[in-house]
Amino acid sequence: MDIINRRKFLKNCGAGAGIIIGSSLLMSPLLSSCSGGGKLPEDGSIFGFSKEDIDKLLQIALDKGGDFSELYFEHRISNNLTLEEDLIKNSSESISLGVGVRVLKGKQTGYGYTNNLTFDEIKNAAIAAAVIATGNAKIKSINVAEKAYKQQVYQMKKALSEHELKPKIELAQRANDAAKAYDSRIEKVSVNFGDELQTVTIANSDGLLITDARPQARFNVVSTAKDGDKRSTGFHSGGGRVGMDYYINVKTPETIAKNSAEEAITLVNAENAPAGEYPVVLGEGQSGVMIHEAVGHPLEGDANWKKQSIMADKLGQMVANDIVTIYDDATIPDYRGSLNIDDEGTVTENVMLIEKGKLVGYLNDRLSAQLLKLKANGHGRRQSYRYPPIPRMNNTILEKGNHSTEEIISSVKKGFYAKTYQGGMVDNTGKFTFSVNLGYLIEDGKITKPLKNATLIGSNIQILQNVDMIANDMGFFLGTCGKAGQSVPVTAGTPTLRISKMTVGGEA
Amino acid sequence: MKTVKELIELSEQIVDYARKKGAKEAQVITSDSKNFSVAVLEGEIEELKQAGSTSMSIQVIIDNKTASCSSSDLKKETLFKLVDGAILRCKLSGEDPFNSLAKLMPIKTDINTLKLYDPEVLSIPPEKKVALAKEIEKIALSAKGIRQSSGSSFGTYIGTYMIVNSNGFSSAFDTTSCSLGIWLQAGEGDHFFEDGWSDSNRFFAKLDDPEKIANIAVDRVTRLVGARKVKTQKVPVILEPNMTSRILGFLAQCVSGRSIYMKQSFLADMHGQKIAGDNINIIDNGLMPGLLGTRPFDSDAVPTQRTPVVENGFLKNYLLDVYAARKLNMEPTGNASGATNFYLEAGQHSPENIIKSVDKGLLLTKTIGQGTVATTGDISTGAFGLWIENGVPAYPVAEITISSNLGNLLKDVEMIGNDLDFRRSVSGPTIKVGEMTISGV
Repeated sequence: MDIINRRKFLKNCGAGAGIIIGSSLLMSPLLSSCSGGGKLPEDGSIFGFSKEDIDKLLQIALDKGGDFSELYFEHRISNNLTLEEDLIKNSSESISLGVGVRVLKGKQTGYGYTNNLTFDEIKNAAIAAAVIATGNAKIKSINVAEKAYKQQVYQMKKALSEHELKPKIELAQRANDAAKAYDSRIEKVSVNFGDELQTVTIANSDGLLITDARPQARFNVVSTAKDGDKRSTGFHSGGGRVGMDYYINVKTPETIAKNSAEEAITLVNAENAPAGEYPVVLGEGQSGVMIHEAVGHPLEGDANWKKQSIMADKLGQMVANDIVTIYDDATIPDYRGSLNIDDEGTVTENVMLIEKGKLVGYLNDRLSAQLLKLKANGHGRRQSYRYPPIPRMNNTILEKGNHSTEEIISSVKKGFYAKTYQGGMVDNTGKFTFSVNLGYLIEDGKITKPLKNATLIGSNIQILQNVDMIANDMGFFLGTCGKAGQSVPVTAGTPTLRISKMTVGGEA
Repeated sequence: MKTVKELIELSEQIVDYARKKGAKEAQVITSDSKNFSVAVLEGEIEELKQAGSTSMSIQVIIDNKTASCSSSDLKKETLFKLVDGAILRCKLSGEDPFNSLAKLMPIKTDINTLKLYDPEVLSIPPEKKVALAKEIEKIALSAKGIRQSSGSSFGTYIGTYMIVNSNGFSSAFDTTSCSLGIWLQAGEGDHFFEDGWSDSNRFFAKLDDPEKIANIAVDRVTRLVGARKVKTQKVPVILEPNMTSRILGFLAQCVSGRSIYMKQSFLADMHGQKIAGDNINIIDNGLMPGLLGTRPFDSDAVPTQRTPVVENGFLKNYLLDVYAARKLNMEPTGNASGATNFYLEAGQHSPENIIKSVDKGLLLTKTIGQGTVATTGDISTGAFGLWIENGVPAYPVAEITISSNLGNLLKDVEMIGNDLDFRRSVSGPTIKVGEMTISGV
């Protein structure tokens, strides 16, 4: 099955086309990862263009008087495998190739893109982006020079995109078998295994030229259980910027499948949560959803320079109980939200957001940092070349506390324990929800019967004050975050924690 | 950029190549789009975006096994290599008797009569687009009680969709759409609210004017100011049309073929049964001229149609692509691309009379968050709205949740409004639901 080897595949592809897009690019940065950082191909070409071409295009984008111009080249190869009803239903391979041109003028952004990588088409995109300004060129673009960096947060030797399909099918089959073997009431199983390798090269009018090759993988198992006339669906996934080793040594298909099937079986006879306002304990597995919504989004720089967020102008103020410390760290090796550089070419770092209850930082891209008079801290992200970067989260974490998990649960006389989630949502006013797929009732300090589908709602300023016990455990969920029509991969982590009072949706 | 003719030729070459390489069947879908959007904040352009792009997706079938690929790199060499890969991968797929392309079904509808394309959209001058977004914000900001703008926007989309396959299907259609909207904040200090309104239409001339959209947005946000929580209780709930749409979107998911055969729907074994009140008629119709969900054929190259989904409360049809139809031993309904225009038929009551009929209850105006599970039909979501007392809105409410079950809700629709307007592809009138649980304090 030689053809499934992506390196060879793309090499052939490029050679056949007479243009070197993809071929050497895909091979270079990731596979020389031991040296750290991303590097351009040895021939110095940038998606088939010379540095001189890039300089010319960046200048054309500034010709109407913009302050800053940028080219974002992207090549993404995505593979997907679906196993359902014991059959490999489909496998797919997708290539996304294109370039986005951005021009900044004060607070204003002009943007154009094309999937047709010829000089003339990119020039047209640059002219489209340039119209945000309406005068003559004011700034001369600095000639680009490649910037090297040491950061390397993707540790695998070989991306999953480089593997053949057969071993992936074997993993999917193992998951299918494990889910069905878990309980005879498992009626249907769906396994989805996706991986991708995204290569980006960013050049801007400040002379920056930088590249990164980013692997990503996700293995999902959905199990449906039937008991009498009741049905339920359970879900679990495993992944990150990981390779095959992860699924062999860290989180096996059997583990993912078992969690999925167990959730379905637990839910099939679960009851609705009691409706009302009462103590809530968020379990350590996936409760990062809460801080993602309640803290992360409201602290994104764009909503703050526009003064739309409830957190605007609160820098230096106490916004949470003093036991709460929250940061976003894009540099954790192999995590789903990790990046070497953001989508503007800024090397990522660990950004403190709330320290012992006090608001100390925002998540910034270049524009929001400039308008808030802060430093860009590596949080400018975009879904693809079709979108300008905006401030986003990566891996958002609530720091561990000093209680044991048991102490927290046993402290609650009657309450709700949240285990797994469908997701969450927040608006600028700080009102947020998270939807719990599987929860439990806490009675007299013990976790008792399972509860299904409860949405919890609160206002972040209030709920962050109500966080009154934090455990010394920790867990992460794998998420895909949507904002302004753009989706990006993220994680968030929390220990088990107690919220003294929150509204739980359910049955009255 | 390639012309439609060039794209069709390229598609034909890919189908021929796939067949030559051993594919029994092959299908190529091409999407081409030109997008423009402008976002305005506080009277200035915040973001202006204009671009075009094209992508192709290819499916091959050999011996009832299938594999697929797609690309925005449209070099023939790249596409041929992807086909080579798909053919090799195809052999590793499972043999499934339901895998084959739709048999060739002629498109009986004259695509022009569907009114999907407005030539005016292409010729709107950029200055006019920017001016519209600025105007709507200016109108909204001049209203009483607005704290600030969260931004306005105007956008246009011009697209071409085409399918060429080895059964001899070769057809394309063009669509346009444009949209105008505004988002606002109202309130004081840390107690403020955000809401907005937008309108979309295939035809520029039919888009609601800025004043109308701005006024709706202003009303939606200012009426929330001072919202409080209410006690946990069971009450009648009135759903504004956009909230009925949300419930219908959930129903569309529950009647989609894949949800049915994967048993991920509470309606999985309910075909032909009474699932709703006698007053409930729900239809999917892909052939209604000029609407946003209208299209001549779906992504399986099957013509769209009018499909009664619920008739006098009985579940008559699922929304089926070719694969799901074969598995369920039914006919495809032209829904491989999802629901088309999916709507609840209007009733007799004016929205005012529906509100008047409620002694104590909630007028639901906005939801936040997920909280719908197709397998069980359970609904639990964050909610905003107006509390109704003695038939009139008494005060706004927020930070509450509503919960119910779609199966129960469909049997408990006590009144249906006469205000169905088809301005969304999933649409419904105001409805009154007999009882839902409100969770508050």
